[in-house]
Amino acid sequence: MIPTAFEYFAPKSLDEALRLVERHGDEAKLLAGGHSLLPLMKLRLSVPRYVIDIGRIKSLRSIREDAGALVIGALTTHHDMETSELVGSRCPLLAETAAEIGDVQVRNRGTVGGSLAHGDPAADYPAAMVALDAEIVVAASSGTRRIRAEDFFVDLLTTQLRPGEIVTEVRVPASPEMSGSAYCKLHQPASGFALVGAAAQIALDSNGKLASVAIGMTGVAVRAYRARAAEAVLAGNKPSGKLLAEAAEKVADGIEPLADLHASAAYRRAVASVYARRALETAISRANERKA
Amino acid sequence: MKIEGQYILPGPPEAVWERLNDPAILVKSLPGVETLEPDGPDRYRAKIQYKMGAVSGTFAGEVELSDKNPPHAMKLKTSARGGPGFVTAVGQLDLVAKGKETEVHYSGDLQLGGLLAAVGSRMMEGAAKKSIDEFFQAIATSLGNSSQ
Amino acid sequence: MATTTKYVGKPVKRKEDARLIQGIAHYVDDRVLPGMLYLGVVRSPYAHARIRAIDTEKARTAAGVVAVLTAADLSQAIGPVPCAAQLPDLKPAPRPVLALDEVLFVGEGVAVVVATDPYTLRDALDLVDVDYEALTAVVDPEKAARKDSPRVHDSLADNIAYRWEIEGGDLRKAFRQADRVLKLRMTNQRVIPVAMECRAALAEYDRGDDRLTLWSSSQIPHLLRTQIASMLKIHESSVTVIVPEVGGGFGSKLNVYPEEALVSYLAMHLGRPVKWIESRRENFLATIHGRDQICEMEFAVQRDGTLLGLRAHIIADLGAYYQLLTPLIPTLSGLMLCGCYRLPNVRVEITGVLTNKMSTDAYRGAGRPEATYFIERGIDFVAAELKKDPAELRRKNFPKSKDFPYVTATGLIYDTANYQAAMDLALQKAGYKKLRREQEAARKKGRYIGIGLSSYVEICGMGPSSAMPAGGWESATVRIEPTGSVRVLTGSSPHGQGEETTFAQIAADFLGVGIEDVAVIHGNTSIVPYGIGTFGSRSTAVGGAALYRCLEKLRDKLLKIAGHLMQEDPAKLVLRGKQVVSRRDAHKSMPLLDVISAAYMAKTLPEGVEPGLDETDFFEPSNFTYPFGTHVAVVEVDPETGTVKLLKYVAVDDCGNVINPLLVEGQVQGGIVQSIGQALLEEAIYDEQGQLLTGELTDYAVPRAADIPWLETYRTVTPTPVNPLGVKGVGEAGTIGATPALVNAVVDALSRLGVRHLDMPMKRERVWKAIRDASSAPSGRARKAK
Repeated sequence: MIPTAFEYFAPKSLDEALRLVERHGDEAKLLAGGHSLLPLMKLRLSVPRYVIDIGRIKSLRSIREDAGALVIGALTTHHDMETSELVGSRCPLLAETAAEIGDVQVRNRGTVGGSLAHGDPAADYPAAMVALDAEIVVAASSGTRRIRAEDFFVDLLTTQLRPGEIVTEVRVPASPEMSGSAYCKLHQPASGFALVGAAAQIALDSNGKLASVAIGMTGVAVRAYRARAAEAVLAGNKPSGKLLAEAAEKVADGIEPLADLHASAAYRRAVASVYARRALETAISRANERKA
Repeated sequence: MKIEGQYILPGPPEAVWERLNDPAILVKSLPGVETLEPDGPDRYRAKIQYKMGAVSGTFAGEVELSDKNPPHAMKLKTSARGGPGFVTAVGQLDLVAKGKETEVHYSGDLQLGGLLAAVGSRMMEGAAKKSIDEFFQAIATSLGNSSQ
Repeated sequence: MATTTKYVGKPVKRKEDARLIQGIAHYVDDRVLPGMLYLGVVRSPYAHARIRAIDTEKARTAAGVVAVLTAADLSQAIGPVPCAAQLPDLKPAPRPVLALDEVLFVGEGVAVVVATDPYTLRDALDLVDVDYEALTAVVDPEKAARKDSPRVHDSLADNIAYRWEIEGGDLRKAFRQADRVLKLRMTNQRVIPVAMECRAALAEYDRGDDRLTLWSSSQIPHLLRTQIASMLKIHESSVTVIVPEVGGGFGSKLNVYPEEALVSYLAMHLGRPVKWIESRRENFLATIHGRDQICEMEFAVQRDGTLLGLRAHIIADLGAYYQLLTPLIPTLSGLMLCGCYRLPNVRVEITGVLTNKMSTDAYRGAGRPEATYFIERGIDFVAAELKKDPAELRRKNFPKSKDFPYVTATGLIYDTANYQAAMDLALQKAGYKKLRREQEAARKKGRYIGIGLSSYVEICGMGPSSAMPAGGWESATVRIEPTGSVRVLTGSSPHGQGEETTFAQIAADFLGVGIEDVAVIHGNTSIVPYGIGTFGSRSTAVGGAALYRCLEKLRDKLLKIAGHLMQEDPAKLVLRGKQVVSRRDAHKSMPLLDVISAAYMAKTLPEGVEPGLDETDFFEPSNFTYPFGTHVAVVEVDPETGTVKLLKYVAVDDCGNVINPLLVEGQVQGGIVQSIGQALLEEAIYDEQGQLLTGELTDYAVPRAADIPWLETYRTVTPTPVNPLGVKGVGEAGTIGATPALVNAVVDALSRLGVRHLDMPMKRERVWKAIRDASSAPSGRARKAK
């Protein structure tokens, strides 16, 4: 469990880090919390020549509000997310998701930006991020750009990030009134990753109809996605058991589910429906509680 | 694990066949292959630089074409080994003319060994499919280029 | 037992824990010696391949690399890994320390690299280039047993390592008379021990003294010393094995491994200390696995539930080579297959099969969890088929407590037991009748609750020698030093069991001193007399008994000296509170220290009494011990996902007399948790090419604290007559008793759907699929058990 030799940098500012990633490009990996990168390096499945430890860039660890949006710095830890009052009140879905990641030790070290940039198809955050229409802000020497979460994840361990870019923050739009959310996850029993993770973010109108509904799925396919077909069944309708079941049936429509030791494609498809339905039920009941 | 699929490539089977047998095209088309040196008839030694997100590595590999029936069918065997283990892919390629195009069917077996089998299997099926996609895409591009 | 029990029977906190929880305990890897080198093993990524060539040049010439060796350099110098099993017609399949021409499993060593530091070493391992020619891997044990199967060993005619059988009673008659014959096929899957500390070995050689010291994370220091001497063909008197703190073994360190011989050999030949520390990945690949048996059982039964006969065939997957006890483990399953039932007519056949996998060997329970799983799953199956309550079926077939010692049809003599009492207590504590009513009510609401029982008997206290491959006794030495402190040396090798505490409890009570006055020394073969080691729940039952007999001798000697000094009949004296006190006159006493001084000053000893206070005993029990108990598991299955939730667990165990209830509790809890692992989560999966797919903790699921509900544990106490302490052993009971209770509970939950059997582990998808298949079966009852 010893990695190959690498050169280590610990930049103190984002500018310095950007200069380093620009110089070393593809041969460099960024180190944040290290919970994805270091195990891969120790197994020698990842053999970067340069490791750029951005953990000392304090400005990237923050949670704030900006023009109604919740803005989360890339180095914010899962534990920060889980316990932040701001996240808990403005975006409970993210707090609930963070609490489901790994164990306490992982949550103390692992970071939002690191998790997103790694692009693990079974990571927890992506489900919530796509459901929330979050934007991922990336910086390069040439400037910054914003990428919609739904576009950010491309394939297995592959995101839209280009060499030379660093995830700096995530912007989450404010949730509407009378909204409710839930993240329901079936843990892979050994790793604790999501065999299936379903994030639901819904809002009710004054008649109890679904004013908006978003379902983000992780663990099911090579990347997190929005279950649009299921959303379409629900949007504008009054939720009922039958309707939710009908919608849940569609959460993996057009998706080719992953298959591995822990779940066949058929099983993933089946439990994706179950967990999506459970997430919706919980989100709706939470919205009703808020209303009451 | 079993892998199979099919692609439509621009051009007749003869043209596809030519490219599949051209080391200069292969080296550009096989994902991650950096060098391809002849090592006997229809055999090549390859240096493969693999990268998928944070996962990366260097493998020494071999590419072997056999059971050739031009321009209809051949076997393609690629194997690579490195620190984390080995990958062997044995595939059958069948070329069928479809008008001005060629339909290529591939079916094969992917074997992983060592660490790749133990921790890589979650990723490898997807990675293999992606690599094959990239390969045929590159072949298609080369056909497109030459036909222009 | 001793006259006073200030400590024995009390929940005394472990003496070991202070150093462990402070992080000041020393494991092998904590030991750093001057000039130490690091050894690593190049391992095969193929399950079966011919080695065409090994190019060591690049590694050999790398800076910091001291040596690179292959089997060609070592096969003459180091003998194969020892196997203690002696079975009729056992085909030879010894494991070489490094593969010579062929590799037979993924993880087998093909070369070793020695370097000046672990970093250089790790890089150099990747520089050794091995050219393999892949051969067909033999993976499925049933296919491997067929005549047309490719062979694992070229030198053997087939893959069948041995056939073993045992028969008692009149089986044909039993099956002829039976109302019903019920068949069930079950697997007890391959599992991986996953000790917290992986294996580790460090060797140092002093050329001047011709003294080799081997530190190893082992359960058997003396057996290891003997075997290392014989593998390296050196004098055993030159070898010392030291076992420091060991982070768990579970049987996986009850073995001799190539790396222990390799570091020893290289330390001698390089003249520098050599250390090898196993990685978790190597631990998965190249440390023994457990279980891996398939059993086909046929029960001959009467309609009223009376068991008449049992016919069983077990296929045991041994892996590619024999480790220390590999072929023997399945035979223990065979011997114990009658469980705790009156089963007068039995026939068990075992086929031991070689495959291209890591060897199986003793894993916590070693043979008994398999037997218990098969018979206990079988009993619940029979009960379900006959529509009987599983508790009633058990009750009907238990031998009565007056029937003990009870002779089984497989020839074992069960010492003492009251199976009925243990089961009654378990049912009462679990609220069995109420549970059944709740289960019925839940069913009506569409909830799938299941109740599973397991009544087990196991074989423990490994001895007598006639029934053991390497001696069934244990040693103890007790020394009372001139200052009054007591040193207990034991041949047992505790590695988590807590004998530093229990043995100190026994000695302190016996000698009337404080527990803090007693130090228990183990694991150094130059200090401790020869011993057999810690496994098979034997340390207290055999090692503790040896200690007891030493203490008797010492007490008698102390009292004889005291009697002489006090002018009192020694028979009227007792040791109490660091005093020798007269039973006739409580005012007549003498400080124990004065008696001890007298023994060492040797000026006023009675005639015929030797100076000093040092006694040694080698104790061999007359029989094994047979702990028993009943466990009850209650589960709920989520029909939509197949998730099994453990709602309640009640265990009643009878391990005879109890020295320390806290440690008994700990052993039972830990054992049950390991069982939960096997029943619900764990499975070593090899693919068709013999690749271990569950080769890291990211894919091999061991139970976590969050998976475990409160485990309720209770005891009945039926002392054994086979040792003077009356203790039976408890190290494996939880692992043996719990697995079938859990599986029975899951099957019970799904029984109304027509599910008759499911193989472990109860993975969600497997359960989900069973529910789906059963629900879609036309009659709902039409499913057949395979």
